[in-house]
Amino acid sequence: MTRILLVEDNEMNRDMLSRRLQKRGFDVTIAVDGREGIDKALADPYDLILMDISLPEIDGCTATRELRSAPQTAQTPIIALTAHAMAGDRERALEAGCNDYDTKPIELDRLLGKIQALLKPPL
Amino acid sequence: MTDVSLLRHELRTPVNAVLGYSEMLLEDAPGHQGELETTIASAREILAAIDDRLSPTTIHFSRHDLEVLRDAMRPHQERILRAMNALRKTAEVADMTADLDRIESAAIRLLVVDLPDVADAPTLITDLPTMITDAPRVTRGVRAAGATTAAPFRILVVDDVADNRAVLERRLERDGHIVECAENGRVALERIRDHRFDLIVLDIMMPEVDGFEVLRRLKRSPDTHDIPVIMISALDDLESVVRCIEEGAEDHLTKPFEPVLLRARINASLDKKRLRDRERAYLGEVKAIAAAASAVEEGRYESASLARTALRSDELGRLARVFDGMAAKVKAREGRLRRQVAGLREEIDAVRRRADVTDAGDVRLPIGHILADRYEIELLVGVGAMGTVYRAHDQELTDTVALKVLRPELLSDRTVLERFKAEVRLARRISHPSVVRTHDFGESDGVHYLTMEYVEGLTARALLDNRGRLGVAAVLALAGQLTHALVAAHAQGVIHRDIKPQNLLLDGQGSLKVMDFGVSRLAGHAGGTGDAGLLIGTPDYMAPEQLLGEDIDERADLYATGVVLFECLTGQLPFHADTLVAKIAKVLGEDPPSLSAFDGIPQALATLITRLLARQRETRPASAQELLQLLDQVGS
Repeated sequence: MTRILLVEDNEMNRDMLSRRLQKRGFDVTIAVDGREGIDKALADPYDLILMDISLPEIDGCTATRELRSAPQTAQTPIIALTAHAMAGDRERALEAGCNDYDTKPIELDRLLGKIQALLKPPL
Repeated sequence: MTDVSLLRHELRTPVNAVLGYSEMLLEDAPGHQGELETTIASAREILAAIDDRLSPTTIHFSRHDLEVLRDAMRPHQERILRAMNALRKTAEVADMTADLDRIESAAIRLLVVDLPDVADAPTLITDLPTMITDAPRVTRGVRAAGATTAAPFRILVVDDVADNRAVLERRLERDGHIVECAENGRVALERIRDHRFDLIVLDIMMPEVDGFEVLRRLKRSPDTHDIPVIMISALDDLESVVRCIEEGAEDHLTKPFEPVLLRARINASLDKKRLRDRERAYLGEVKAIAAAASAVEEGRYESASLARTALRSDELGRLARVFDGMAAKVKAREGRLRRQVAGLREEIDAVRRRADVTDAGDVRLPIGHILADRYEIELLVGVGAMGTVYRAHDQELTDTVALKVLRPELLSDRTVLERFKAEVRLARRISHPSVVRTHDFGESDGVHYLTMEYVEGLTARALLDNRGRLGVAAVLALAGQLTHALVAAHAQGVIHRDIKPQNLLLDGQGSLKVMDFGVSRLAGHAGGTGDAGLLIGTPDYMAPEQLLGEDIDERADLYATGVVLFECLTGQLPFHADTLVAKIAKVLGEDPPSLSAFDGIPQALATLITRLLARQRETRPASAQELLQLLDQVGS
């Protein structure tokens, strides 16, 4: 089963997205902030990480940079979840090392497409 | 994040939740397509309204702008709430209730995102903090007729007369509230058990279970104790009004109602409840922070256990965020140190398994000898440049001590002796777990001796001789403890002057203790700065300024620390040569070799050691305290 780590501080977004992904057969683990996200990502292997960018304390970009510098997560696909509200979030996310981004509100089919694209092994 | 974009974020987040949950329910319960599609369409309208009036490029946003935006969002919000209300009335709603609650609370939250109450005049926000309240804004006094800024609330109307119920329901719904009705006390209690209400309007005279009984039961249960209840009756007798208030009702009204008065009383009750709720939530979160503080003390703090409090936008939220961040750092640091010490302990165990590591030497005092009528010599521990160390039993205090008999030639001069005593007095003031405590200095029958804390263990020298080189974690553990010891000593004005592996004792737990603080002063004085002095000590760990006989300060100890760390990591000294003179020439004239030639040494640590070994002391860290911080960065 594909293992996804969802790092998101907003309780409702977390609950909603994790349930919708689980319903589609993903094994979803949750982290409520950047610190927990980093700790969990380093402790266990994940096939993909969904990273909210606007997190308290350690934001998503910082967390991504930290994960990119660790050997075990340097190659893990990371999709940034950006609030459409924040101009510049996308650029910062990609610069920090995210493979892709999706904008809230999440359209699940669009996000699933991005997840599948990153999970496909390179030809 | 600017405050305008923060406000935008705060507004969009609940709409996104409404959208997400509605879409999810639509997948789960296609039977309710109508209501859910209405909800989704309304949420999209709201997003469009936000984007329209508060775009990412908006710089100024006034209170008036917010009011205009609210007015634009309100009809859509009401559509969402009506749709939720309709869904709740359907039969198969039970497993959807939690999600309906979420959609509803997100929709309500949308209209309470607020600007700071700075002044009545329109406020331009550019860098003022936005204030996000958890509950609808509290307004005071009687609201203007038809005002719905604080609506909707869930209100239960309990009356056995259908017409009365219908009138109340219509009035309250017109004010924007969500109203449910119960035709008697029993039904009311069932409803209250299954649903959450913000207010109950309760008739007194009812068949079966009357209003007083309902009120009593509500006030008895902790779950319902805090719901405000307004009692209504046709009787305006003083006795029943008093009874209502005594039994815990919020207010009392007499039929027929004056609509303005009814609205004012209901709003006042809701305001009071909101304030109470907020106060209770606040106290609850203060309690959570206090509990977290105790958890930190007891070492069982879980990161993010204050996550909910940390989301608050007020000072309490900030406190929680700062606290959580600090606790997380402490925990990470603790884990790191524990790993480092474990590494060191492994190294020590490995050596211990190799049997005898005790230095051999001449026995000067026979075992069993009693020195100064007090110290019984038990065991020869080691022989060094300064003298011979024994384990002795202090018969006076019935305690084991280390007793160092100093070489007589070191103390031939009276001035030197006085200076040495002064140094010992200073050293005795150092109280630190990583420093071997100096007890006493004495003389008996021409034998000068020092007594010290006895540490069962081995020296870092023995460890290195057996192991060659140590792992990075072990070296970091050793470096941290050594530097802590130096901080404590330097704070008392004591410079060690002779930091070297021989003076670093390690016990079986991986704890390091530095010995001979102050003792090495003897070496310099006994032999001056010339050859004799150098012969006593070893130049391998001495800073260039020390070799040159210049005045030294605490940075000489930092240089020596650098040499020790270099040796621990590589198994060799930074400078080696066949003769003493050649070696000194290298120390004074050459840069230390690069550590990058050795495998597995983190770059940050290599750079730090090179800095410690700088020939110019100005280039080294300024103090042990600074070194401690640098080590912490390396270890993280």
